[in-house]
Amino acid sequence: MVIISNIPHSSSIKVILLCFIFILGFLVPISYADELVETHIQNKEVEDVVKNNDVKYESKTSFDPSSEIDVTDTSILTSLDNIESVKSTEQVWDTNIKTKDNLYYEFDESLKITPLKSNFLLSSFNFEINSTKYEPGVSSNGFDEYSHYTVFPKSINRIIRQNSVRELHIRFTRGFWDADSWGRIPYDGFKAGGSGVELWSVIEASSKKVAYKKWKYVANTLSGMFCTSLNFVDASKTTYPYKSFIPDYDVPLFDGKNQLFVMRAALANENVCTENLTPLLKLLPTKSRSGISTLLDGHKVFDSYWHSLSIDVKTICEEESLVCYDNLKANVGVVMHVPNTIQRNRNPIPKPVTGEGLRCDTSKYHDAYECFPLPDNFETIFLLSDLFGKKLQGSNLISNNPSSVCVEASKDWKILIESNGEFFGTQSNCFDLTNNDKNDIYFETKNSSSIVRRDNVPLFVSRSIMSNSIGRDGLRTVFRNPTNSAKSVLYFESLPWFMKIYLSTLIVEQAIDTTTGMKFDFDIKDVLSTLKYAAASDRKRPNQIEYEITIPPHSTIILSYQFEKNLLKYSEYPPDANHGFEIESAVVTVKGPTKYQSRTSTLLLVLPTPDFSMPYNVIILTSTIMGLIFGTVFNLLVKRVLTLEDAERIRAVSGPKYKLKKLKERLLSRFGTNKNA
Amino acid sequence: MALIEVLHRRATKLGLLPKVIGKLSIVSNILVLISIGLILCLPLDGQYRRTYISENALLPSQAYSYFRESEWNILRGYRTAIEALIDKPARVRNEVISSWLTDFGMKHAVYDNAADGDTLYGVYNSQRGDGTEAIVLAVPWYNTDNEVNIGGAALGISLSRYFSRWPIWSKNIILVISENPHKAMKSWVDAYHNSLDLTGGSLEAAIVLDFPSKSEYFEFVELYFNGINGELPNLDIVNVAISVIEHEGVKVSLQGLNLSEMYTSSYFNRLKTLLFGVKNSALSGTRKLYGNEAFSGRRIQALTLKACGTEGHDITTFGRIPEAIFRSVNNLLEKFHQSFFFYFLVAPRHFVSIGSYLPSAVCLSISFGISAAHSYINNQYITVPLSDNSSILALIIFFGSIAISFIFLQINETFLQPHLMILAFLLISFLPLTNIPQPLITIQPCLSYRLKSFAFIYISLVLTSLLVMNFALAFGMGLLAFPLTFTKSCSEMITFKSKVINCFYLAISNPFIAIFIFVSIFEDDITNFEVFSDLISSFKYMGNWTWAITCIGWFTTWQMVYIANLDTPRSALDGDTKKNL
Repeated sequence: MVIISNIPHSSSIKVILLCFIFILGFLVPISYADELVETHIQNKEVEDVVKNNDVKYESKTSFDPSSEIDVTDTSILTSLDNIESVKSTEQVWDTNIKTKDNLYYEFDESLKITPLKSNFLLSSFNFEINSTKYEPGVSSNGFDEYSHYTVFPKSINRIIRQNSVRELHIRFTRGFWDADSWGRIPYDGFKAGGSGVELWSVIEASSKKVAYKKWKYVANTLSGMFCTSLNFVDASKTTYPYKSFIPDYDVPLFDGKNQLFVMRAALANENVCTENLTPLLKLLPTKSRSGISTLLDGHKVFDSYWHSLSIDVKTICEEESLVCYDNLKANVGVVMHVPNTIQRNRNPIPKPVTGEGLRCDTSKYHDAYECFPLPDNFETIFLLSDLFGKKLQGSNLISNNPSSVCVEASKDWKILIESNGEFFGTQSNCFDLTNNDKNDIYFETKNSSSIVRRDNVPLFVSRSIMSNSIGRDGLRTVFRNPTNSAKSVLYFESLPWFMKIYLSTLIVEQAIDTTTGMKFDFDIKDVLSTLKYAAASDRKRPNQIEYEITIPPHSTIILSYQFEKNLLKYSEYPPDANHGFEIESAVVTVKGPTKYQSRTSTLLLVLPTPDFSMPYNVIILTSTIMGLIFGTVFNLLVKRVLTLEDAERIRAVSGPKYKLKKLKERLLSRFGTNKNA
Repeated sequence: MALIEVLHRRATKLGLLPKVIGKLSIVSNILVLISIGLILCLPLDGQYRRTYISENALLPSQAYSYFRESEWNILRGYRTAIEALIDKPARVRNEVISSWLTDFGMKHAVYDNAADGDTLYGVYNSQRGDGTEAIVLAVPWYNTDNEVNIGGAALGISLSRYFSRWPIWSKNIILVISENPHKAMKSWVDAYHNSLDLTGGSLEAAIVLDFPSKSEYFEFVELYFNGINGELPNLDIVNVAISVIEHEGVKVSLQGLNLSEMYTSSYFNRLKTLLFGVKNSALSGTRKLYGNEAFSGRRIQALTLKACGTEGHDITTFGRIPEAIFRSVNNLLEKFHQSFFFYFLVAPRHFVSIGSYLPSAVCLSISFGISAAHSYINNQYITVPLSDNSSILALIIFFGSIAISFIFLQINETFLQPHLMILAFLLISFLPLTNIPQPLITIQPCLSYRLKSFAFIYISLVLTSLLVMNFALAFGMGLLAFPLTFTKSCSEMITFKSKVINCFYLAISNPFIAIFIFVSIFEDDITNFEVFSDLISSFKYMGNWTWAITCIGWFTTWQMVYIANLDTPRSALDGDTKKNL
């Protein structure tokens, strides 16, 4: 059979119809391409599943003036009692600005500087603000009421009041805290987060749904306020901690019918930079114009080995009266390497030191060409302004307590305050900034390695991803207890839903006595006392693991479990080339005798990435097939079907060969006639 | 469509199809020639492309490198101190070097491995990073030639010290000082991903330094990047390395070729670089291991830089090369994602991509498929149904051969006697000349054809599945195994001469004999018989699959073809022919 092209006149409608069918057929496969990539997730190996993730924190008592409220922060109470005037100084910036002698606001600030091992220096800036007192439940919107904020930031106040937030904690942390040599994390880790941004809060609400709605509102508002990506906090990132992060005092409940919900989310490895610091400084009444906050310059703060910004807001109610107030504590912690920072001031480019600058080990061979370097110089003299690039500008003028600077250093250090070219020292190395001049702190030591001991870290924790074979990967957590008492530890971990955890594989991989090197034969049940696990739900809820583990003295316990990586929908992968998905750090809380919290480093999870050209390939293939089908159907419709013999016969009288022959004949005949003529 | 139709009609008229089918063996041979021809075409102008940096963030050599001046004094200081450690046991050495690392604030630990040697490694936690990624600076204490890597060790330590003063790092830096560049390095990489407590995040790139020379100067850099199992680092990091090396004014040599061949652009030099690339990739893991192979298989982009010669550039220049590569890698916010993961370099700045060279391996694999069809179709047994006894017997023999191959795979390198093995296979290959196997085995001609057909289709499938992942191995194996298709079945062999030729083909296509011959002619690094123990040990310790593929893929095929070529009693043959006719 042969098909010969011979289009009848009435075929144009058919052609249009076919084109329409073709286009239709072309569109259908594209819409299916998306669904092709969708994955189906099953996780049956979950042992201890808290199916209904209603892990909420319920306050034992509702707010009641007669109930005991443990107001722990006595410093505020004392500051309330001792109303003293701001020390008026002889030198005032501007004589036009008059301060009322008895005017003060509930604001306190202090700077604590601690030299650490290997020439590192920790500077910890603390700010504390109390709001004016208010009666809970009384609307301030009445016509005869007025809102008065004084020094308490209005923006924070709004978030708290509108969403019935009883506690709010934000952490911006970046860097590596070298616990081995620096010792404990400042404030025992309770003012630092994991690398990135962390947010948790206690919210009063009638139901979990309402609480989540408020939580989302808080996150979104903070996202705008602090220029972070907190707006990406959604249900798939929010956890409801069961024991970690639960306040250890009775949180006031304004409405007895409501409950308290603790919610937490973290954005791992979110960048922390100036745009987070500036809003924090804006919350302060001094606005980094005077007092210790003048030192806080983004260039220096973020050019450090470790930095952490934290904000904690609490609602505190006084037991005898019906009044409450909000308490805001802001903290900025910075760890700098002193020689490197000073070197960078001299020359921002780390050029090799000059020949004279080389410090060689004289016990080894050395000459003009050769030098075995000595370790860091421990003899050092520097000023605080060398590190921060600025001097302390005056004190805060609005509180009854002057700004204070304390240096926590050993006897080997000589610490002086410099003011107007004069140096003063105190026994306690604490200085109150009472004038409005530029102040500076002078550090001098012959042995900078002599520090106040901070190395009694109760527990070291590290976590890493194991990838032993193709397919299943594992998470490995190492707990090391260097002390001589057993430590009971709360471990909290939130993992994204695309990690499918096989909790049944949770084992004690190794347990070693670090002093003798002996191996314990521990079962998982011997060390783990409680385990709460909320299984992930795809795109809705992360994995949440919380357990209590007891680490014997002087021992290392290694836990591990396996997980599987899920495929995502193709639109859920980052649109650009990426380095993997960030896994937030695990939080470890040592319960006693001194509470201590630390976090593991974040992890990077590389998911199997599909070939993104697949939709394109599908389109290409379907188009080709459609084209072929179209061509065939088109041919069948518009062409006649003949037998080979018929075709040969027709071709003999109509084919191109025949036409050529005809033409030739005609031409020949014409020429022929011409010739004849 | 009309043109195809016309062509089809013309072909039908001329009766081309039966003619082609009749000459399938020639078609198969032509395909092999095409395959070789395609490879030979690649170094022609216009067939290869200029390399380029795909990820703009890499910016090789855009920042000035400062590893110079007084850093050289420090380097010399470490070098002298290391010289004093050469004869000390590894434990003492590691302790001393650990104390140096402590001096400049590097966290360190020793990975104990009694079998392969302890590995000292240090992690410098970067100031700007989030601690989730790391770049590795690896220094094997003894290099692949068992020379003490003094320059490399001194460079590794002084570079780490130098890096720790910089605030710019966004990825952790890990210094690894292993006992040797193969087993010890590999075991450390495995341990890092499984059992080490001190870790610094996922490893993104690794640079292995090799500077064994006693001199402080070197002439040029040899760059090694072939991974195990045909794996290659992303082309971007190779380009960055070459760009950085050349930017420092140093010349680079690829695949161990000499500089004049590298830097005079001619067809034959490009071809040589390409073919050496194919050969080295096929034998990777068996040849000298330079250290970068240890990182293979985990998406870590690894390179080895080896300083060669004793005059010319000073050692700090060699230090500035990893410095600049580190700074480039440090810029990356994502994983390496140049679209070329499979490539061959024909010159330092020119490459051919997989799209260009893959067709030649495809041709080879198709030619085996056509040979299979030839042995199935072009004889009188085509009428015998596939469910016939002979087919089933052929299948049983196939599984038997695979079982034997598996047994071969289990051979320990210490039990292996390569001399005996080669001799045994030579004897076995020429066994069909004698009458020894005759009373034991009789192979019916039909079975013989079926066996060959199955064998060729099997090796064709093996090659097809291998050719994208490990082109070099697939290509090399296909070429060396190809003489198998020249063997004629017994019914076609009449003269003694043809029998001898047949046995010769069998001998040269035997995997072990072929590998042995190939290695003795083309590979200087491996001393003849060692190749087998190298293959086995790299299969066991380095995760190299070449030995397994050789045994399971090639040796199985060879066994089947060999059985197909065993002599058939003439009487049986006659009877059989009669019966079938």
